[in-house]
Amino acid sequence: MSLGTKSYIKGVKVSERHGAGEWMQERLSSLILVPLTLWGLWSGWTLSGAGYEGALAWFRSPVNATLLAVTLLVSVWHMNMGLKVIVDDYIHKPVSRNTLVGLIGLLCVVLAAAGVFFIVRLALGSAPLPAGFGA
Amino acid sequence: MSTSPLPGDSSNDPTDDQSGRFVRQPNGRVRPLSPHLQVWRWHVTMLGSILHRITGGALSGGAVLVALWLLALAFGPEAYATFTGWMGSPLGLLVWFGLTLCLAYHLAAGVRHLIWDAGEGLTPKSANALATGSIVFGVVVSVVFWAGLFMTGRVSL
Repeated sequence: MSLGTKSYIKGVKVSERHGAGEWMQERLSSLILVPLTLWGLWSGWTLSGAGYEGALAWFRSPVNATLLAVTLLVSVWHMNMGLKVIVDDYIHKPVSRNTLVGLIGLLCVVLAAAGVFFIVRLALGSAPLPAGFGA
Repeated sequence: MSTSPLPGDSSNDPTDDQSGRFVRQPNGRVRPLSPHLQVWRWHVTMLGSILHRITGGALSGGAVLVALWLLALAFGPEAYATFTGWMGSPLGLLVWFGLTLCLAYHLAAGVRHLIWDAGEGLTPKSANALATGSIVFGVVVSVVFWAGLFMTGRVSL
């Protein structure tokens, strides 16, 4: 949406910059996470005390591996927005705020990338790291 | 825009006030005290909002722990034994219980926000009920979940 274009939905002004998009993203990620969180609790129940072999067996189900990857990615997306809002609320000095928001973004990218990398290896039944790197 | 009550109003004279609700500003005007945490009357929607933010922050730490779990699992049985050794210790179990509490509360409070965003439940009575309900849901679900884990022998001290 270009700056200065006023638009209204049901008589409520839509933000002229990125506010409305962020609002939608927060709600969308929340909605997706509701069923995934319930599934996550159930998975936590299954995996508790299952041990190494039990966890590997759990990952051999493509449904589990896929749902876990989706849960991780949507959670990191949601977490990035949530932490950014907290920083925006309490940190007023632009340099500190931008640095913190940048670090949070970096943490989220690392979490997402590393998480998906491990999930894919576990789902494929790759040999344990680091000996089997690339195997 | 609010104005301070007029001096001379015997029922509510700010210049006479002994309750600390009014302060004399540097320009000499008497103004209501700005509402800091200490002078707010606590109400449950306020607690609900604060808890939603705190639990969200804690769950970010939980996401890091889940990533570490994946890392340990991908690094093989020895790394996994080290990880489960730490996480199965009394302190580790307390952390995971706390994270369960945060997750269950944040889930319920998040649904509460979605209800509000749909324009429902915004009267003081329903808003309070939703906030109380979220807290009760979080506590009950996590206590039942962990009682179940111990009773089925999945987790032990």
